[in-house]
Amino acid sequence: MSTIVEAIALTKYYGTSRGVEEVTFEVPQGQVFGFLGPNGAGKTTTIRTMLDFIRPTSGSVLIFGLDPRADGVRVRTRVGYLPGELVLYPRLTGEEYLRTFASLRGGVAWPFVEELAERLLLDLARPIKDLSHGNKQKMGLVQAFMHRPDLLVLDEPTQGLDPLMQQTFYALLDEERVRGTTVFLSSHVMPEVERTCDRVAIVREGRIVTVADIGQLKAHALRSLELHFDGPAPSAAFEGLPSVREVDAHGDELSLSVEGPLDAVIKTAARFTVVNVETHEPGLEDLFLGFFGTDGAAPAETDREDQS
Amino acid sequence: MSGLLAKAVRDERRALVGWGIGVAGAVALYAAFYPSIKESAADLQSYIDALPEAIRNIVGAGGYTTPAGYLEGEFFNTIGPLIMALFAIGAGARSIAGEEEAGTLDLLLSTPVRRRQVLATKALATVGGAVVLAGVAAATIALVGPPFGLSVPVVDVMAACLMLALLGLSFGGVAFAIGAATGRRTLANAVAGGLAVLTFIVNAVAPTVEWLSPLRPFTPFRWYQEPEVLTGGLHVANILVLGGIAGVSYVVAAFAFDRRDLTS
Repeated sequence: MSTIVEAIALTKYYGTSRGVEEVTFEVPQGQVFGFLGPNGAGKTTTIRTMLDFIRPTSGSVLIFGLDPRADGVRVRTRVGYLPGELVLYPRLTGEEYLRTFASLRGGVAWPFVEELAERLLLDLARPIKDLSHGNKQKMGLVQAFMHRPDLLVLDEPTQGLDPLMQQTFYALLDEERVRGTTVFLSSHVMPEVERTCDRVAIVREGRIVTVADIGQLKAHALRSLELHFDGPAPSAAFEGLPSVREVDAHGDELSLSVEGPLDAVIKTAARFTVVNVETHEPGLEDLFLGFFGTDGAAPAETDREDQS
Repeated sequence: MSGLLAKAVRDERRALVGWGIGVAGAVALYAAFYPSIKESAADLQSYIDALPEAIRNIVGAGGYTTPAGYLEGEFFNTIGPLIMALFAIGAGARSIAGEEEAGTLDLLLSTPVRRRQVLATKALATVGGAVVLAGVAAATIALVGPPFGLSVPVVDVMAACLMLALLGLSFGGVAFAIGAATGRRTLANAVAGGLAVLTFIVNAVAPTVEWLSPLRPFTPFRWYQEPEVLTGGLHVANILVLGGIAGVSYVVAAFAFDRRDLTS
């Protein structure tokens, strides 16, 4: 299996301000690779070097084994790109825009463009300036997918899409996965990465903190758990458990922070009378905490997505 | 490449239509004024002759008694360069920096095109725009002039309009290069526009202000209007200097744009 994206000690400074430092990762063919981190972590910087919009200060990134600068045309022929900050030509209609880009790209089957638009419920006859944010995002998706690229580079692809369209996007992505398309997807939202990716790199302050399979990542995640007992919360019984990081009791309620499997906690809780259990899917912050430990400085800006 | 060119031409079209109407309107207006100005030409000429030489140079010291002198003074040495420079500077600054600031350049360059192709087609579209604008000026002079007694040999008009396009493109080139090198449209507009105003004034007052005289060869206007643009005929040196400024600007733009990071 060949490597589609390979970053080797990729470092980018904008003047003296940090973009990314020593970023190293590999994406094999057919993998959906998530690049997860808070805003400002360096996700977009990495993506922009992949498309040769910016050049590394040191290190390199290879796409299909090619240098995006020296072999830019060959690379970009096979790449579909959705920018994080999508700006289209406002005066064109959707169709005019896509036909222009189809002619710049070559090899676009127009019926497929129409099929994509139809599935995303996108009206191509309307001027782009009249489209809602979500519809513009759909335009961005269509132009990224329309030439059936070997590599999709998607910077925060679901921003602005309503939940129904997010599902359609996931379905499109799944079809691409079946076709063997490689996907590089950046996100600051864990559930999205969890839903779509095989493997994920967590970036923070310009550096890769870890690269792991989604399963591994979840295993390390900190879950917060609330147990409600029919009497005073037996906090002492939980404090000694190796998976329990934090215990906080107020009256009948016990708040736990648990790393990895919940098994020991559940079995301990079973010795008491449990009235209610609430768990929360780990948010990005909890994932970070899982990796840095609770003493580590939490990232300055994170999006916590609690889903009960 | 053809797709890029089609896009570049389309991007230019709106501005071009506006400037085309402007230049045709200006020429037609001056032509319509000509009969009444000609009547009082003698008075006007004596009034102009009474002005200080520097002012006379700035307003275009033409002899109002002849159609050529009138056209030269009222159009080719004043409003013509103004319109052409504004168009070319605007188009040049918009080419790269405009798209970059708007945020549309990213997606354009995510397609399998080279930066130099984008640059070349945009430069071509600007050159084409300047040529069309000069053509509109020439056609309006040739068609609207004669009914008002403003008859000048068509060949002279075409030659002067060619020089007008080159003059505009020399400033447009500067804007193009600054925009391509920095991605900043306002900067490109300001520097090229400032340069146009400054060199216009230097060229105009240099004959009367001794210490400015050595600077005159550094103004594009010197190479545009000496000898007289409408009656002096085409001069290879003038074409080479003005075309050269535009050409060098383009090379600088290509070199700088290829090597820099896009701004986001």
